[in-house]
Amino acid sequence: MERTTIGAWLSVPIFAAVLAVCVAPLAILFAFSFFQVDFVAIVREPTLRNYWTIAGSETYRGLIGSAFFSGFLVACITAIVGHPLGFYIAKRVKTAKSAFLILLLVPLYTGDLVRIFAWRVVLGNEGALNRFLLWTGVIDTPIEALLFSPLATHIVLVYNYLPFMVLGLWLAYESLDDGLLEAARDLGAGKASGFRRVTFPLTIPGLIAGGMMVFVMVVGDYLTPQLVGGASGVTIISAVNDLFGTAFDWPLGSAIAWTMLAILGLFFAAAAIAISRTNWARALAAGE
Amino acid sequence: MTPSVASSDGDGGRTGSAPLLRADSLHKHYGPVHAVRGVAFDLEGNTYVTLLGPSGCGKTTILRMIGGFESVSDGTLELDGASLIDVPPNKRPINTVFQNYALFPHMTVVENVGFGLAYSTADRATAERVTEKALDLVQMREMADRRPRQLSGGQQQRVALARAIVNEPQLLLLDEPLSALDRRMRKDMQIELKDLQRRLGMTFLHVTHDQEEAFALSDWIIVMNDGRIEQQGAPTEIYRRPANAYVADFIGGANRIGGRVVELADGHAVIDTPIGRFRAPCAETLGADQGAILCLRPEQLEVAADGAIEVAVTHVIFRGSDWLVEARARDDSILNFHAAGNDAPTIGDQVRIGFAASQAWVAADG
Repeated sequence: MERTTIGAWLSVPIFAAVLAVCVAPLAILFAFSFFQVDFVAIVREPTLRNYWTIAGSETYRGLIGSAFFSGFLVACITAIVGHPLGFYIAKRVKTAKSAFLILLLVPLYTGDLVRIFAWRVVLGNEGALNRFLLWTGVIDTPIEALLFSPLATHIVLVYNYLPFMVLGLWLAYESLDDGLLEAARDLGAGKASGFRRVTFPLTIPGLIAGGMMVFVMVVGDYLTPQLVGGASGVTIISAVNDLFGTAFDWPLGSAIAWTMLAILGLFFAAAAIAISRTNWARALAAGE
Repeated sequence: MTPSVASSDGDGGRTGSAPLLRADSLHKHYGPVHAVRGVAFDLEGNTYVTLLGPSGCGKTTILRMIGGFESVSDGTLELDGASLIDVPPNKRPINTVFQNYALFPHMTVVENVGFGLAYSTADRATAERVTEKALDLVQMREMADRRPRQLSGGQQQRVALARAIVNEPQLLLLDEPLSALDRRMRKDMQIELKDLQRRLGMTFLHVTHDQEEAFALSDWIIVMNDGRIEQQGAPTEIYRRPANAYVADFIGGANRIGGRVVELADGHAVIDTPIGRFRAPCAETLGADQGAILCLRPEQLEVAADGAIEVAVTHVIFRGSDWLVEARARDDSILNFHAAGNDAPTIGDQVRIGFAASQAWVAADG
């Protein structure tokens, strides 16, 4: 009894730290989102006007929508690319597995900016890709759309966040029993059917883990669109940045941030409910 | 050790038309490791065959080559006269009960059992009927909606069995299917397996390291060691007439008394041993003047005043129906024999044991 009480008291600093570092800033933002700006002063009178502004603005709605759409799209593409990669590293690489993982993670050790500028070198008018295409004769004039376009943004986003998806899927594949695939083959399943009925359902936990990471990070990424997106580079996050910085409209910025958070929360809740209703999720939850 | 002789010896005992499965000079290399070294055997229809051997002897590798999960390095593998070599596992009319059962954890029992029917021509109604029939066969109908993780080992085993037979394979492979079960459950499952094989009329090829299990189940036993077949034949033949010292020891732990063949005539050999000279039936392949062993089963030895061997009793183990006695002969070799329940010797006793040489067996040493 005595010990438990002491334990409870000892955990106080940890909770305090979490509260101070993680929750407090968000709470402050939350409070700000109900304030107003009068020229350069913040008026501390609670109002929902900021949220009305967002709901009524086609620009903000469009930017929020396209942020989530990009997140979803990039999560899907990284999933498609990540499955074979995760499978290969987990099941086919025998000796130099750590080398493969390091190779996968090394780009993450360099900064965002370095990676993005590297892609500008590759995709630009005078870039490596255009030169290669010119040299092979596939094209006569450089493709300008390779850089400063939504295409470029999404190529770089996929590149930047693919490692997170691969990590999730790799772990899922590591824990996947090869015997199950053999059993599927033994019972008559071709490779595609075995993937659909056995591999895919059993690696979904990894897909969800990787997918959520990629989704959240892409939604919050504003460097990439700004640096390689050209005219399409304006995002909801860069809008928030402008509101806090140049426009000095902290309340509206806070409101947008919280709208994004709420949508993300709703999204995850919906996903969790949908997933928990599926057969395999219950099967996985029932085990262990 | 002459494996080719052992295998041709085995074939001699079998009759009938073309075999269901034929393996000939089958080899498997894993890099520098030569796991299967020129194995040859035939499997007939409607028989229960066991591949018996210690772990690492290549028996599982053979099973996996037949199932299609390992490539064949060299040799022939034919099912009904057609080569299996380039046929992927899903196109082979062969199903497997895996050692750890390999049940799909995200599917219920009934979904597991019905898995393979998606690839047959059966319509939905037929598939349901076949699945239910298979579940009935293994008495798992009540568990149909459970998940594999909610089942005991024995129940998982039954599901794996039902799943493997729904497509009515021509050959069912069983990879140490009973090794994860406790002793009691194993006995029960042995009877059920044998029963199932008879009822279905399929050929079962069962891999095990447990000779008791092999004897309980099999019509035909293939004894393996170190990538080769040491002997194959009916259980009685393997037990009574082991081809060599290895088989004699591995099967039923025969007492082996080393010696030398001094005379060979009409299926009998005269063998010179440290405990005397005996005339006993022998393997056809035995040559004159070669090293050989006299095989004496523990049940063939008995305490007798005029027995040929004088021993000192070192251990006495009560077995219920009788006693198992371990004793040391004068040349320090250890002999095991059975003693009846009412006159067991005690440790330290000096006794004489005898045997009828006509029941003994002379086999090649090696």
